[in-house]
Amino acid sequence: MDNINVLIIEDTPAESDALVKVLTANNYNIVGIAPTYNEALTLFYNNAIDVVVIDVFLDGKPDGVTFAETINIVPNGLKPFVFLTSSKDRQIFERAKLTKPFSFLLKPFNELEILYALEMAVEKFYGQTNVFVSEEQDTVISDDYLFIKKNKSLKKVRIGDIVYIEVEDRYCNIITEVEKFVILISLTKIIQFLDPNKFSQTHRNYIVNLSKIEEIVVNDNLVVLKGNHKVVLSDKYKDFVKKFRILR
Amino acid sequence: MTKIRLFAASILFFFTLSLFSQEQQDVGGLMEIIIKAKSEKFKESVNFKKAQIFFRQSNWDSTLVYSMKEISDAKNKELIDYCHYFRGISFKEKKLFNESKKELNEISNNFQFFYKVKMKLGEITLAQNEFQNALQYFEEIEKLPNVSNYDFKKSTVLHNIGLCYLHLDKFNKAEEYLFKGAKLQEIEKDTLLLIGSYMDIANLYYNQYKDNLAIPYFEKGYQLSKKVKSFGIKKTAAMNMAVVEENRKNFPLALTYRKEYEKWKDSLNDQNKVWAIAELEKKFAIKQKQKEVNVLEAENKVKVAERNGLLFSSVLLLILFGTGVYYYRQKIRNNKIILAQKDELDKLNATKDKLFSIVSHDLRSSVNALKTSNSKLIENLETKNYTELDTQLHNNSAIANGAYNLLDNLLNWALLQTKQTYFSQESLHLATIVKHVEYNYNPLMINRNISFENRVSTTDYVFADMDSLKIIIRNILDNAIKFTKDNGKISIYTRDSDDDFCYLVIEDTGLGMSASTQEELLKKTALLSKKKNDDTIGTGLGMQLCKSMIYKNGGRLEIESEENVGTKIIIVLQKFKNHG
Repeated sequence: MDNINVLIIEDTPAESDALVKVLTANNYNIVGIAPTYNEALTLFYNNAIDVVVIDVFLDGKPDGVTFAETINIVPNGLKPFVFLTSSKDRQIFERAKLTKPFSFLLKPFNELEILYALEMAVEKFYGQTNVFVSEEQDTVISDDYLFIKKNKSLKKVRIGDIVYIEVEDRYCNIITEVEKFVILISLTKIIQFLDPNKFSQTHRNYIVNLSKIEEIVVNDNLVVLKGNHKVVLSDKYKDFVKKFRILR
Repeated sequence: MTKIRLFAASILFFFTLSLFSQEQQDVGGLMEIIIKAKSEKFKESVNFKKAQIFFRQSNWDSTLVYSMKEISDAKNKELIDYCHYFRGISFKEKKLFNESKKELNEISNNFQFFYKVKMKLGEITLAQNEFQNALQYFEEIEKLPNVSNYDFKKSTVLHNIGLCYLHLDKFNKAEEYLFKGAKLQEIEKDTLLLIGSYMDIANLYYNQYKDNLAIPYFEKGYQLSKKVKSFGIKKTAAMNMAVVEENRKNFPLALTYRKEYEKWKDSLNDQNKVWAIAELEKKFAIKQKQKEVNVLEAENKVKVAERNGLLFSSVLLLILFGTGVYYYRQKIRNNKIILAQKDELDKLNATKDKLFSIVSHDLRSSVNALKTSNSKLIENLETKNYTELDTQLHNNSAIANGAYNLLDNLLNWALLQTKQTYFSQESLHLATIVKHVEYNYNPLMINRNISFENRVSTTDYVFADMDSLKIIIRNILDNAIKFTKDNGKISIYTRDSDDDFCYLVIEDTGLGMSASTQEELLKKTALLSKKKNDDTIGTGLGMQLCKSMIYKNGGRLEIESEENVGTKIIIVLQKFKNHG
């Protein structure tokens, strides 16, 4: 499990300090603090960023919105972002609203509100709303990462690192090569969002990462994975073997 | 030579006589009755009525005028025929024979008095010495069956035929017809015509040099002429006798007749003069009358014009008056509206002023409290009384918080009033929002030892604008804390409901409020009031703001409260249903 990388675009040190304090306290990783539009762009494109916190006004100009508009133009490079503002200026809101996904936070805000705003930004960005506030689930799935809510903060797990997933009722045990943890997500949803070329169900309760398979013992109904994890292969899902070229 | 001259004179005289008697009979006879009937029947035709009246009065000029008018207007064939007839007769009377002929020829064959037309045509042609034509017309009439039914005398027709033959020198025929005529006239005892007949017969014989036959007729005629009053006939008879006596060389007698002839001629002239003068007088009188009529007509025209002008101007005035009244009333109404608006604005302005004063008072006292607290703080710091510092700092922070909240509400109120706020309703997780707001008040509540409970259902999503919802909850919670005593309890929870609304209850164990206060608070335009809580002067602004924002979010506010027990403020919000 990794921390979330946050880029802060904020020109007032007092504000950014407070933000950094709150976010680091909640296990967020601050990649950088950009006081200007240009620095923001540099930092944004040179680092692996998960979420951006943008102050609408930089040095009195609405450069924050401009930044959002800029990253909006390049579709693949786009990341979830949150606008911070103390102004209730309708015009700025209308302009910022056009840069979707869109999450707003009015200053002054407390710890809960900024964390909530970040979660909302991630949710909305990946089109899986009302995940983090609900009690049934706590994970948003993107192409590369699982974003998991742990206590008050957000964590991420690279999907490629997952060896297999074991489903138990409403929970899923995620087993990577180095750790094991439980997330709240339904089987249907996880299957819907995972790439079928990379993951495959081997049993009613197991989903395996195809690239982590070491050996398939058909007779014993077993799949041996990296790290010597063994997973049951049920008759119903045996067809998945056909995905592999079988040497005879 | 003399004989011929005499003969011509005799004929001319005879004619005028014959035509005159004919006219008299015409107008008094069958035709008049029928004309009258027609005029009754065609009442609406004023011109025809006038034309026939003038016709019967032998006023030929007027007849011509009105019959012309009638011809140009009327559509009825019958009336037009009558009019042509009137015109024909009128022209004939004025000796305009050709015009008369033209008019008479216009009359259609269906005309009731067509035989009369023929008769008139015959007479005209006779007067114009076209004897052959005249003869044709008269013979046509003579051939008509039952001539006696018609209102003219057959004797006249016979006589006229006779005259035609006489002029055409067909003496035998002439003799035959003249005698037939004379015989009828003798029967009818029409002396005037009889004299003419005798004279003509006498002339007939005389022209044939049958003096012996002629003379007795001349004498008969002369004897009869003494009995009549017509000077013309007397004159002709005397002249004839004179010529006869002259031819008989009986000059003394001839002279006597001559003298008698002169006498009658003079009388005739006198009579003619009298007639002429009478005619002149009549014309003069008519002119005078005409003038009067003209004057009257002019006066009438002026009167009509005056009346029309008066009517028009009065209508115009009325319209003017009406519009005036309308605009006046409109103005009054507008004034009333403006006045009402002014009153309202005044009231609102007064409220605003009051708000202004309360807010500034509040702020002033807050800042003043800070000031005194700060000076105490400095004092304590100098005296190194550190134990006091903590409580004083908390106190300061509470004051600053209160002032901040007030200012925040003020800003939000202003933004709401000027419609500048960004407002966007979306699905909101109610429990999370409540948690966010509550987070800021936790230290305060811990400080005052108020137990707090958040039992908001985690499955409730509302459809609202996030910032305004936070402002609402913040204000209500702030109030709840303000009115709750230390060691009190505040709980926030949602009530179960079946409808499309979510009931968020904020319950405290504070002072509570009376029903009247509740009512006052829920009034749409509740005026700012001094709170019952003695030391806290409130503006009521927070409550107003909450209400406005709840309404804007499509919800409503309810209050359940009991004095000295506690208050439940219920925020009713729209549920959001389509969440995934």
